[in-house]
Amino acid sequence: MNEKVLSRQFDLPHLHKIDVYLENGGYEAVRKALRLRPEEIVEEVKKASLRGRGGAGFPAGIKWSFVPRVDKPKYLCVNADEGEPGTFKDRYIMSHNPHLLIEGIIITSYAVGIHLAFIYIRGEYEKIAQRLEKAIEEARNKGFLGRNILGTGFDLEVVVHRGAGAYICGEETALLESLEGKRGHPRLKPPFPASVGLFQMPTVINNVETVANVPLIILNGADWFLSLGQPKDGGTRLFSVSGMVERPGVYELPVGTPLRKIIFDYAGGVKNGRKLKAVIPGGMSAPILLPEEIDVPMDCESVMKRGSMLGSAAIIVIDETVPIIEVLSKVTKFYSHESCGQCTPCRIGTSWIHKIVKRMASGQGRKDDLKEIERLASQIKGRTLCPLGDAAALPILAIVNKFRAELEAMLPQ
Amino acid sequence: MPKITIDGQTIEVAEGTTILKAAGQAGIDIPHLCYHPAFPPEGSCRLCLVEIEGAPKLELACATVVREGMVVKTQSEKVKEARRSVLEFLLAEHPLDCPICDKAGECQLQDYYELYGLFESRYRETKEKKEKLVRLGRHLLLDRERCIQCTRCVRFLLEITRTGELGVFERGIKSIIGFYEGEPVDNNYSGNLAEICPVGAITDLDFRFKTRRWLLDSRPSLCPLCSRNCAINIEFHRGLARIELGQRVFRIRSRENPQVNQYWICDLGRYSYRYLDENRIDRPYQLVNGRRMNLSWEKLFILLSEKIRALRIRKKTSRIVLVLNSALTNEELFLMRRLFLEELAVSRFIFCDPPEEKGDSFLLTAERVPNRRGAEKIGFDVKSREEVLREDKIDLLLIFAAHLPEKMPLNWLSPLASQIGAKFLFASQESKLSQLVDFVAPVTPVAEKAGSFINVDGLMQSFEAALNPWGESRPEWEILVNLAREIPVNYRYFGRFNSPRAIREAMAEEKLIMSERP
Repeated sequence: MNEKVLSRQFDLPHLHKIDVYLENGGYEAVRKALRLRPEEIVEEVKKASLRGRGGAGFPAGIKWSFVPRVDKPKYLCVNADEGEPGTFKDRYIMSHNPHLLIEGIIITSYAVGIHLAFIYIRGEYEKIAQRLEKAIEEARNKGFLGRNILGTGFDLEVVVHRGAGAYICGEETALLESLEGKRGHPRLKPPFPASVGLFQMPTVINNVETVANVPLIILNGADWFLSLGQPKDGGTRLFSVSGMVERPGVYELPVGTPLRKIIFDYAGGVKNGRKLKAVIPGGMSAPILLPEEIDVPMDCESVMKRGSMLGSAAIIVIDETVPIIEVLSKVTKFYSHESCGQCTPCRIGTSWIHKIVKRMASGQGRKDDLKEIERLASQIKGRTLCPLGDAAALPILAIVNKFRAELEAMLPQ
Repeated sequence: MPKITIDGQTIEVAEGTTILKAAGQAGIDIPHLCYHPAFPPEGSCRLCLVEIEGAPKLELACATVVREGMVVKTQSEKVKEARRSVLEFLLAEHPLDCPICDKAGECQLQDYYELYGLFESRYRETKEKKEKLVRLGRHLLLDRERCIQCTRCVRFLLEITRTGELGVFERGIKSIIGFYEGEPVDNNYSGNLAEICPVGAITDLDFRFKTRRWLLDSRPSLCPLCSRNCAINIEFHRGLARIELGQRVFRIRSRENPQVNQYWICDLGRYSYRYLDENRIDRPYQLVNGRRMNLSWEKLFILLSEKIRALRIRKKTSRIVLVLNSALTNEELFLMRRLFLEELAVSRFIFCDPPEEKGDSFLLTAERVPNRRGAEKIGFDVKSREEVLREDKIDLLLIFAAHLPEKMPLNWLSPLASQIGAKFLFASQESKLSQLVDFVAPVTPVAEKAGSFINVDGLMQSFEAALNPWGESRPEWEILVNLAREIPVNYRYFGRFNSPRAIREAMAEEKLIMSERP
């Protein structure tokens, strides 16, 4: 299947302007959704098996249904921090079609009973943040936001909040802290944000792409959505393909499209016909795959079975010219730099590993360096306060494990 | 009430109890660094990880609430390995300068390494270099290399004082505790930071390099510097063979008391301990034309009782004036009342408490004496009534000044002094007052005696002596009992009071004592 769904209209000129968007069927999903009962929407999204597009792949409808039906303020936070290295799909949605996201926000908020939504966008996306603010203004002027939306009595405001440039703020509870004006340190869970979230109130946190899919489900139905993808993982995904390929870019393809097909058929294969060395299938946190492992359908469960994860569906292609120590060093540098420093294993472990890797890269390797890296990574894995520890440990372990011979060759015998 | 099994021991604990607390109730120690009972669990040090049967990963003991039937292991290989691993991480980036660290001997990182670590360091990389001498405030220094990022200090200032001076700056391995330029820690509770810091990152300038922890003894007492009566520990040097130390007391630390001060004390109470060692009166003496002549206590009792006896025979005890204060214990005030007001029919007394100062909204009260409620309960009018001084001639003036002779409002004494027959001063400190009287006798401050106080909220608390009496100092209650014997006055009654406890029992019989709970 080569038909775009989410990004179908993204090539229309000036789609980010509300008039163009409306001419092309914009806000029809909102009109339809506001005639439904909120529970019907939640049920439909559940049935569609819309899984989170941010990285964890948690089913969105189920997440929504965790929010208690209590009479206190509830919030929606759209996670537009897009910090996972290799990922550039959310900016694609927000810059080309901000109104699709706003539509998704309106429907999600209506379904959960939310009257204030935030878009937490990474600080570097300054122009996109401005575009979103403009779009929100337009939507308010047309009566899609604000008080008594389309005469239904439903109120909603959307606020764009720019982050200050920390990877950790993409972790949902650190995002909440940051949004509250505090240092972006992850919170202990439980309680989960669905019950105690932003300003201690029930909060839904969804990725941009997740929310942007909601209008499509409302317009076309859960069955249609499900039929696009896999039985437990519906719809399409925006694959961010980068690295040594002929045509890097964002590709919208059905969930379950084989990784090999994405690299070789859509992205044009490895650059200059060179040999493939490795692929990171789901953003830097996803354990690396060898060329013989890329016949894997790109859905959450299949990639997990292959020992990696679909994550944010960011595919980083590495060819034979790249020494693996460079990849390892990029990974360890990133995580030691981005570790928030709150919990011990991540703060010190990631830095310790990076110091070893740096030493190895400078030709000062020691005999037992690989063993030490593996030992330290396994002391981080499963022991940290937030998922960043695992996100660091797993790719490091995979690289050392799969490229042991190449790395060992750097060490004294 | 859920029943849980910890290390094979089944216990029943209250709903909502965390594993860490439940284990504590079962006598099982789970190491922890960032957790402090005063704050909600932080879960960042990762040292308290334990194994829960059926759980895929190790879980935090500090933050996990027990569930019925939970089976917890705190000593399994997995748990021990996780603990070693956290200690290894912390020590990898730690300067290990224990030999010059004030915290050595009471450092949780050091203690836990001894208990749960004992591995060889495998760290071969370069340690991070950070500032080792950051002035955090009037009393505090921060060593950023020793800091383990537990953020207890940050949370104390956010949640207890709500002043929020400190925060975490930078990120990851570069994380440091810091403050905004020109806004260091400046509140009356800053000293608590050095106390709750589990390592030697925040140290107390007042204590810095003065002694070593293991040379100090620690005994409980109550802080007498305001009417809160915070629980404290007085820490003093046991002394060295052949070398006389100029200082006994090296610091005051807070002692947990959930009813009064939780885990904290104010800086006034913490740093004002020097009066215990400085300027103390060693032994009784008489001043004759400005010259000091030492006396024995026996001689002093004979001289004083002769004067009282003479006034009593002439039925002139109305010419006795008592100067009292609210730093006296309930027991002492009770004896004052029985002996002077009732047995000797002395009616002229005046409370000369230090003037009130500004309190704060937390622990420090405006009253700078510990026992005004007690004095009132025992029946004294604690308002300063200077008119009693003019009611009649004064043949005998007895000033009980405790540790407060400099602070008591006694301006009236100097113009009157020459007209007063005999003037006795009972105080623990030398002061200008000593020059205005005829006899001076040393008394023990609160730290050196037993007794009880009633605090500003009406809570009665008893305490024991933390220190031995300085020189020949005696507690006021003992002086009063001796005086009763010497005069003699109803010695059948006073003679049985061989301790504050015995006095308390008599007070209870006479329905004058209050239970220890308000």
